Amino acid sequence: MQRITIDPITRLEGHGKIEIFLDEEGEVANTYFQIPELRGFERFCVGRPVEEMPVITNRICGVCPEAHHMAAAKAADAVYHVDPPSAAKKLRELLYSAFYVTDHTTHFYALAGPDFVMGPDAPVAERNILGVIHKVGVEIGSQVIQARKYGHAVVEMIGGRKVHPCTSIPGGLTKGITEEQRAEIEEMGRWAVNFATFSLKLFNDIVLKDSAYLALILGDIYSHHTYYIGMVDSENRVNFYDGKVSVVDPDGKRIGKYAPHEYTDWIAEHVEPWTYLKFPYLKKIGWKGFVDGKDSGVYCATPLSRLNAADRMATPLAQEEYERFYSTLGGKPVHQRLATHWARLIELLYAAERWVELATDPEITSDNFRAQPTEKPTEGVGIVEAPRGTLTHHYWTDERGILTQVNLIVGTTNNYAPISMSIKKAAQSFIHKGVVVSEGALNRIEMAFRAYDPCFGCATHSLPGQMPLQVTIRDARGEVVDVLRQPC
Amino acid sequence: MTDETYPSSVLRRPSSIVLGLGNPLLGDDGVGWRVAEKCAERIAGMPNVEVDCFARGGLSLMERLIGYDRAILIDAINTGGKPTGTVACLRLEELQNPNAGHLASAHDATLQTALEMGRALGAQLPRAVMVVAVEAENVYDFSEELSPLVAAAVPRAVELVMTLLGNSMLPVPLA
Repeated sequence: MQRITIDPITRLEGHGKIEIFLDEEGEVANTYFQIPELRGFERFCVGRPVEEMPVITNRICGVCPEAHHMAAAKAADAVYHVDPPSAAKKLRELLYSAFYVTDHTTHFYALAGPDFVMGPDAPVAERNILGVIHKVGVEIGSQVIQARKYGHAVVEMIGGRKVHPCTSIPGGLTKGITEEQRAEIEEMGRWAVNFATFSLKLFNDIVLKDSAYLALILGDIYSHHTYYIGMVDSENRVNFYDGKVSVVDPDGKRIGKYAPHEYTDWIAEHVEPWTYLKFPYLKKIGWKGFVDGKDSGVYCATPLSRLNAADRMATPLAQEEYERFYSTLGGKPVHQRLATHWARLIELLYAAERWVELATDPEITSDNFRAQPTEKPTEGVGIVEAPRGTLTHHYWTDERGILTQVNLIVGTTNNYAPISMSIKKAAQSFIHKGVVVSEGALNRIEMAFRAYDPCFGCATHSLPGQMPLQVTIRDARGEVVDVLRQPC
Repeated sequence: MTDETYPSSVLRRPSSIVLGLGNPLLGDDGVGWRVAEKCAERIAGMPNVEVDCFARGGLSLMERLIGYDRAILIDAINTGGKPTGTVACLRLEELQNPNAGHLASAHDATLQTALEMGRALGAQLPRAVMVVAVEAENVYDFSEELSPLVAAAVPRAVELVMTLLGNSMLPVPLA
């Protein structure tokens, strides 16, 4: 197979690229998934006060600013060695739960849903949220918009403004909520629980009751036996905002849990010559290449990973679904990547239930929402579960709290190795003897990475907006056989 | 022209929104915000016109446009074929690549799809969406500075927005 060299200019065209290399027989020899890299984020941050980070980092990405705001706030707490009061933690988690409902809803109905509702062979022009509405009914669209509206409303009430929250500061929050706001948040949360339950029923009716889809999910094409990570609370239940990161092996056995400040003992990054983006892996296992198995340090950090890495869900309805999930799919852990869509909906239900739990917590309207930092700032790590994976912010400051160094491992970056593996396996399954792929086959390759809901927007510190995909197929001499482009 | 001399249906000025798109921390990607900020100074006090900056595309952008009759979006663009700083004006439906600039979200839909969806759901959305696009140079390095040619294009883009706004401010009868 011809050696790959990537021209740095073509690497910066601003869209995702999959290069597929065929061997002499026309079978897929290898695939490379590349995305543009942005530069200078650390240089941009150094010299600024650490308390600015929650509002700077939430501008890194147009998709999940709330996740960056929370990770940055927690890292800033750690830098100042201050533990926010319980009410502040609950308010942050309440905001974060509402955000999760919005984010997971949007992914399912706009991106994942069309593959199942319209079918993987539907024309690309119809495989979108509009197609879902046409097929399932306008009411679905109204509910999606309503879920987003409620989520945004809670973010604004607690976070101070829409989309880009600004109220988290070292030691807590700048404001609390009134009883009137609390009641409104509770009402919206109860609606969200019903909506999440409805979404799971829809998934059950459309996907799980369809034997072809179930076979697609359970088949080997979209399956990888890797390690999984995800944040858990003290009882090893899934938690998005706080706790330790649980690590389980491909057999589902927990090999340990790490606190935010211990992440460098667990996570290391591998460099490949064909991409700027690094591949995180489990340090204790080691990098053995893009391979499955217990000896390979490749890990996955997704909704599916979080379910695999935890013992259970913390809320009753989500726990029922959690049990059904594992009994339907043959026990724990689940390695089938398309099951991530189901896992995401279980998380949607958990987030909605947690939203109600926190909104009805007697402490949530407390005035004690800030602890004044008293110690000299030094260094700190903050971790939250972003919808797309574990999000780690690590800051170093001088004694005035001015940043001297910054490191981020964002949600999707964790999954760069498994996404690359999934693309290769799907390509090998759908392209044979150099046959030019159909749009449906191309979509099935895309489905391999869509399950991860990749957001290279902030994996590369990139701009919000677009990631149209270009797939190039080359023969054994490296000559281009076919180029396919489409938005993803 | 006063309320006393014209019936309200003729006098009503359609509400417009001028929205700068992009990431203000990402060099030329922030040009939409800069243009919008300059427009805000000129538009201050003008009735029925709102100016804002926005960092999201797709469904979120559609939701932001609800309630307005007309929208002018300002965005950085990388066509690769035009000189840096070129200012172009086009209707949304004229865009060849529906994923251009910040109109789409990789996580939900293009703005065109989102608008169609919104209309299908009965939302009041702009009948006309104009895009003022500035050919950008550096959108890959974190910076709050625009590159010189893009900075020089800001006044031209502002004038274009004001011209578009002038046209859209003409009194029209209600549908």
